[in-house]
Amino acid sequence: MSNDFKPNIVGFLCNWCTYAAADLAGQSKFDIKPSINVIRVMCSSRIDPNLVLGAFLWGADGVLVAGCHPGDCHYEKGNFYTRRRFTQMKKVLETLNLDPDRLQLAWVSASEGQRYRDVINAFTDKIKEMGPNPLKPNPAV
Amino acid sequence: MAKTNNKTDAKSMKGTVISTKEGLSKAITDFLKQAFEKNCFDTILIPVKVPANDSYAWVLLKDPALLDDANPLAPIMPVQGGKALSSILKHGVTDSSIAAVIRPCEMKAAIELYKLKQVKLDNITLITMDCPGVLPLKDWFKNPDEGEKKFKDIIKKWDDKDVRPLCQICDKFSVPLNEENATYPDLHFGVLGCSDGTGFVIPGSSKGEEILDTVGLTATKEVDKWESKVNEVTTQKRKKRSEAHKALNKEVGGSKNLPVAFALCINCHNCMRVCPVCYCQHCYFDSEALNKPPEVHLMRAAQKGSLLFKPDCLLFQVGRMSHMTLSCVSCGTCEDACPMSIKVGQVFSMVADQSQDAFNYQAGRSKDVPHPLRVFEDEQELDQVVTMCKDILETGEHK
Ligand code: SF4
Ligand code: SF4
Ligand code: FES
Repeated sequence: MSNDFKPNIVGFLCNWCTYAAADLAGQSKFDIKPSINVIRVMCSSRIDPNLVLGAFLWGADGVLVAGCHPGDCHYEKGNFYTRRRFTQMKKVLETLNLDPDRLQLAWVSASEGQRYRDVINAFTDKIKEMGPNPLKPNPAV
Repeated sequence: MAKTNNKTDAKSMKGTVISTKEGLSKAITDFLKQAFEKNCFDTILIPVKVPANDSYAWVLLKDPALLDDANPLAPIMPVQGGKALSSILKHGVTDSSIAAVIRPCEMKAAIELYKLKQVKLDNITLITMDCPGVLPLKDWFKNPDEGEKKFKDIIKKWDDKDVRPLCQICDKFSVPLNEENATYPDLHFGVLGCSDGTGFVIPGSSKGEEILDTVGLTATKEVDKWESKVNEVTTQKRKKRSEAHKALNKEVGGSKNLPVAFALCINCHNCMRVCPVCYCQHCYFDSEALNKPPEVHLMRAAQKGSLLFKPDCLLFQVGRMSHMTLSCVSCGTCEDACPMSIKVGQVFSMVADQSQDAFNYQAGRSKDVPHPLRVFEDEQELDQVVTMCKDILETGEHK
């Protein structure tokens, strides 16, 4: 990437999987782009659309929602709900032409430190290409 | 003929011819009087003109004489019928049987609320009619007498240019004719395609058939003429709807336009309060969650250069949408209630069509098709989201 825009990504990570994966990736000293601000939640299903949209409208360049793989949720079916809710939220942004690609859902288990690195780095690159969130400087948002 | 409330074979729908010489409203109230006398129901929920003569309100009628003041086709919809029904039946059923005389979009709201466990429909007879739309409240209150006249004309000519913007593009103004698993009203009054001064009363369930039998109006006539007209108008309206949504998308879509579209919003939350499917008792947006300490506001202002107050109007809109878009029945009540004339209903209906499509769902159309957020077994249709996560891993340069 040639531009020097540093994406600001908010990541809502499930405590049981992705948060542990982030920990593992750190311990393994993987090279992870310093773009993500992590918020730990107890399950991906706890993430209300308002939290994601709030982060986005308050100026985050990207928002990542990450949890256990489908079928592996600590609370059995939480992430199935997440997936549906996420689809619904994406559709809202898509219909309003509000950069739905700035929202990302990923499944990363506790042992997938590498996958965590890959998701973060790839998402960061994608957001870098997209540029800063255009809503950020808007005083009315 | 329908045996239950759902899955009617459209081709076998039958009806009984009724006279509408004195208007559809009068035909319906006359019918209700007969049915009342024969004890088909104990109470009727129906719009009645208020004593001041300038508005309509929902009334639970016990005395059939009061039906003279009732108007099933009121020219305005100050309170959505689905909401009225749920405020009566949210906390349980009664032994008393209630006939709810409501518009098709109000029935959709009622069914959606039923699935969200916000209304019990056990003892309810749902009665609907072909709906020409309603007048915008703002136009009506300028001159109610004029509005009354104008609306008579609208019913006569089935002309939609003066009804609310969402009524103009409503493609669900009658019963669902060609939809699988659709829920029918127990009784429907159809006038489209009928010769002047006549109409049909059409049963959509065995309950509806029994009522017609009891009042001596057993449904035996073919209703093809009505059906083909309903289909024809539906096709026209669908076209109009998708064109309108396309134009609206151009107007309000995108990070530049959307804040402008909602710039006048005064954050009064009227739109939310009148919405039949916004049923939460404690809304996030009424909570203290967004009332931040001063340094947060100062930080935001510093980042942007300035910050508009009250902030987070757009978050309220997009957030409310993300909560209830799968249940939005495109009734337009929110838009009617907005003091700032924001196109809130049009935007919500545009988003609702798209998001419901993604789940192959239609809000309020079927009692039996579960709400998409309450099931998760069939995930095929969500591949787009799941592959998205694969996509990024495959295309991204991960070093
Ligand atoms: S959001 Fe508006 S159009 Fe949709 S159901 Fe609520 S009041 Fe009706
Ligand atoms: S009714 Fe209109 S002004 Fe009030 S909150 Fe809704 S959109 Fe904003
Ligand atoms: S516990 Fe990880 S997604 Fe539910």
